[in-house]
Amino acid sequence: MVFDLFSGKGESQIERIEQQIQEMLAACGRTIDIATDALFGRVAPSEVGETLRKSDRAVNRLEREIRRELVVHAGVRGASADIPAILVYMSIVKDIERLGDYAKNLWDVANAGADITGLSEFDRIQRDVAWVRELVDRTAKIFAERDAAAAQEALNEADAKLDEFDAMVIEQLTSDRPSREGVPIALVARYLKRISAHLMNVMTAVVMPLDRLDYWDEDKADRW
Amino acid sequence: MAESPATTERTGGVPRWLRPILVLGFLYLFLVGVKGLETGIKVFGVDAAERIFGYVSSPVAGLFAGILATVLVQSSSVTTSTIVGLVGSGSLSVAAAVPMIMGANIGTTVTNTLASLGHVRRGAEFKRAFAGATVHDFFNVFAVVVFLPLELATGFLSKSATVVSSLLAGSGSVAAAPGKSPIKAAIKAPVALIEGSLTDLGLHRGWVGSLILALALVSIFVALVFVTRNMRVLMAGRMEAGFNAVLGRGAGLGAMILGVVVTVAVQSSSITTSILVPLLGAGVITLENAYPVTLGANLGTTVTALLASLAADRPEALTIALTHTLFNVFGILAFYPVPLVRRLPLRAARALAEVATRRKRVVLAYLVAVFVVLPLVGIVVFR
Repeated sequence: MVFDLFSGKGESQIERIEQQIQEMLAACGRTIDIATDALFGRVAPSEVGETLRKSDRAVNRLEREIRRELVVHAGVRGASADIPAILVYMSIVKDIERLGDYAKNLWDVANAGADITGLSEFDRIQRDVAWVRELVDRTAKIFAERDAAAAQEALNEADAKLDEFDAMVIEQLTSDRPSREGVPIALVARYLKRISAHLMNVMTAVVMPLDRLDYWDEDKADRW
Repeated sequence: MAESPATTERTGGVPRWLRPILVLGFLYLFLVGVKGLETGIKVFGVDAAERIFGYVSSPVAGLFAGILATVLVQSSSVTTSTIVGLVGSGSLSVAAAVPMIMGANIGTTVTNTLASLGHVRRGAEFKRAFAGATVHDFFNVFAVVVFLPLELATGFLSKSATVVSSLLAGSGSVAAAPGKSPIKAAIKAPVALIEGSLTDLGLHRGWVGSLILALALVSIFVALVFVTRNMRVLMAGRMEAGFNAVLGRGAGLGAMILGVVVTVAVQSSSITTSILVPLLGAGVITLENAYPVTLGANLGTTVTALLASLAADRPEALTIALTHTLFNVFGILAFYPVPLVRRLPLRAARALAEVATRRKRVVLAYLVAVFVVLPLVGIVVFR
């Protein structure tokens, strides 16, 4: 701790924040895994509820730590602080934290007694969850490497996926099927859309100027 | 944000490898400045200097002079180093210098109080920032209220410092071997050269002394400014790591050590305490956790006077530097270990912040009264 002042550690606290962001994304990935295991009937929701909450609390703790460290960075560096980086990190940690919240919402659907395993959309939802889960890992890699080309590609792909999730929700809204079938599908589609959109916000940090962060997931007509 | 922010660290245009060399160079300039003070006073005439300092021969006037001088130069390090230089020249006694050193401790608190004004438009934020800044003021004022009368009655601080000073002398430290130390020889040379050059110009001794004094004061000021500036850049990452570690673990000895280490490294308690202000304002550190860091900064800043004593020939210079250190050590011992007493400066700072948040005029009145009017009136009345 204090003696880090004498060692080579702590040379760049921004690098530490980068690592913490990777930890947050990894923790969110685990939270999504736990929630979807419950949603797909692989485990009883009650069995994993505490583990899920623990994982989400870890994400929340990391978010607070990063924010605090950013304030320290600004306080210590004064005028030489990397203000744009601070603002970007402040913005994206909020997005990453929201991933954990939506994962909890997916678990809530399962915990409320919804069973989607027998529905016609089950295979598709499994594929979509796998895609979203992969997007978490892709986002982590793209952000760590600041890979603008990969970010652009992932953003375009995710953009199309958002439309699919929207279509799924609208389909349930206009269908005559029982609510115990339509509501869980609509909710899951909605939550997967929000997770994807928050991941897109993180990726916009790689390709967009600071003032245009987060605008990718807006309706196309409202974007810029 | 196309590139990793870790690669965009700003170093102000000076290559990182050059900064430690600059720090050493400026530390040398600092010691030369202190030596210059001593020489300048000698050339100027110790009698003349004694007449000047006769104006502040009363302890209370000395205390206020210490406050005012520090407020004017915005650095207790400059004030205390100057005092060490004056004591080293024999123109100022240790007894007269002690209240000035205590005043410097109070005067330096104005910097972080001014820093807290940046939050003045946002009520809750300002209340936290202002309380965090003024807890430093209250601690120093309380310490002076307790220890100045005690010192005047018993001389316990300066006597203790004399004992430590003679122990160090017995151990063969630099201060104990006037004229023999290579450091002293190295810092004497440029001062002697300047003195010789000015004398060769045929100037009156009073002018030579005044010019050396002026150059010495400028050297001390410039050297400390640049030591602080370069060390802040060099230490920034490590300071961040230290603050993050302390914020994560709460108050206590670790926080105090952080305050000492950061202040010794950057040679400025104002930097340490001013870093705390935005953290307090943002609410990421509590007043209770910031307080020991502030106390550590108070202690850490005494290292500058100890450094300055390296340049002086007379052992009294080391004695007054050690008095500064002991005053802060005793202050911490009096106001930190016992929770009930520890809360006194915290409560006073919170109460003032409460009033200041409701009535912003109080802030201005407090700053002007404590750091300008009171010292001026004090010097005039008690001289």
